[in-house]
Amino acid sequence: MRRPIRVSNLGQARAIILHRAHATVQNLTRQLTAIGLEAVQVWPTLEPEALGADFVFFDADMGHDEQFPWEPGQSPMPMIALIGSEAPGRVEWALRAGAHAQLLKPVGDNGAYSALLIARDSFDAQRAGAAEIADLRRRLDERRSVVRAVALLAAQGRSEAEAYGQLRQMAMAWRVTFEDAALRVVARFDEGTGADGRHNRG
Amino acid sequence: MDQTGKRRIELGVLYSRSGNYSLISEACRSGVLAAVAHINADPDHDITFVPVERDPAGNVDHYAALGEQILRDTSARHIIGCVTSWSRKEVIPTMERHGGTLWYSVPYEGFEASDHVVYTHACPNQHLVPLLDWALPVYGSRAYLTGSNYIWGWEMNRLAREIVTGAGGAILGERYLQIGSRDVARMIEEIRVTRPDFILNSLIGPSSYEFLAAYRSLGKADAHFTPQNCPVLSCNMTECEFPALGDAAEGLIAAGPYFRGAMGWPDARATTFGSSHEAAAFAAVWELGRLLNRRPGAENASLAELLRADASGVIDAETHHTRLPVLIAQVRGGAFQTIRATGPIAGDPYLSRGLASVPLSPNLRVVS
Repeated sequence: MRRPIRVSNLGQARAIILHRAHATVQNLTRQLTAIGLEAVQVWPTLEPEALGADFVFFDADMGHDEQFPWEPGQSPMPMIALIGSEAPGRVEWALRAGAHAQLLKPVGDNGAYSALLIARDSFDAQRAGAAEIADLRRRLDERRSVVRAVALLAAQGRSEAEAYGQLRQMAMAWRVTFEDAALRVVARFDEGTGADGRHNRG
Repeated sequence: MDQTGKRRIELGVLYSRSGNYSLISEACRSGVLAAVAHINADPDHDITFVPVERDPAGNVDHYAALGEQILRDTSARHIIGCVTSWSRKEVIPTMERHGGTLWYSVPYEGFEASDHVVYTHACPNQHLVPLLDWALPVYGSRAYLTGSNYIWGWEMNRLAREIVTGAGGAILGERYLQIGSRDVARMIEEIRVTRPDFILNSLIGPSSYEFLAAYRSLGKADAHFTPQNCPVLSCNMTECEFPALGDAAEGLIAAGPYFRGAMGWPDARATTFGSSHEAAAFAAVWELGRLLNRRPGAENASLAELLRADASGVIDAETHHTRLPVLIAQVRGGAFQTIRATGPIAGDPYLSRGLASVPLSPNLRVVS
């Protein structure tokens, strides 16, 4: 089930509006202030202190990659594109820059609140998804270790199914993932053979 | 200028004089007309308000067109009106296009701060949040939620769910009726079966009247469902709907900035009001009068310009909400008796200060 959105902690959040001085910035600032945020306009580039902001609104019409102190799509906070020209090239750039939501220009009396909520939700979802993918990828990479660990345990006179079960028991006892338990078993064996090897050489 | 040398200023009035929520419209309208009469008769005001009335007759599709008519065909820049949030949201784009201002004097669900609206009645940090903070420890935290099927009921119940579950409580049921529907049997049956600790009722108009009458009958058949044990809570019920409720109002608990006889708000020269709807509408027109008084030409200024020129009034320049007292009152013997109260607090439409409520003290004031 989808979790409920967080609505009640926007107060005192900091928003940076990366846009040249313009009525759109005034109207957006009015909206953000009414919602309870502190809004600052900057142009033409975000300085490193922008890393501390909770939200960044950026101009999709005049924007380019060099304005941001992070790699495209790697912002540490939700980003909202301010789109005037709905041209495919500009939308494409805004997406590549890492827009989590958009607000059409000219910005008037509304739109900021839903953009904030949607951007934060997309940002959170993207971040959780990336962490999960990284974890799955790492576990996929450890398939070899699992196969080796099961083979090593089976070599001590157990069936493959028993070795598999033993590895699962170890993971539970150590409170680590199955893959991490396999890594430990393999490392322990490698240490053993490594020490034996040195011993043999000596 | 009229004969007395006062500036004549047209004031749009957009209330439905028939339809499902006309009792509330009439209460608001009385407040408007009382303030207009006060200002027009007051020698300290150099203005006379001339009401320009349009009646949407309870049809949500008429509001935007009639609002446009007022701004286009008359000199009025300010309109006081709308009861439902649905109608208010219909009117706002018209206000933006013509640079007009809507003065809205009814409790609403928050999450709005239009540059073209002034909100003179309570939003959730001034009604629902303190009401539930008080009620949960007193009655328990198993709630049943009702509402009319539009933004007021939806958002009130979403917020109630957040507060109740956050406090470790449970929502036993949540059900909506179309505006005007009297089909309350299913709600009542669900309440009978789930036996909650309290009911939060955000129904409006005839649905609410029918629901409260049916709930009173249920209480007669089953002692669990009495006001002492399982009360009905409301953030939109005021004295103006008593005529439609009769005995069914007895025991109802409501939150609002004013109940009949309360003192202190709005500061209106010892004027007493029939309900908070009337009081909030009066307060709106009174504040507009103050902003326009002795400022020739101000009647054509935008709301933003008016507030820039004078920030000393009751309207918050950022949110356009007002500071209001919070009263919690129960209907006892046909009148609201205040049981908890706190001094004026600022409206926080986006709950940006969180869900923490203000402490409410037992009401020590004499209530007539």
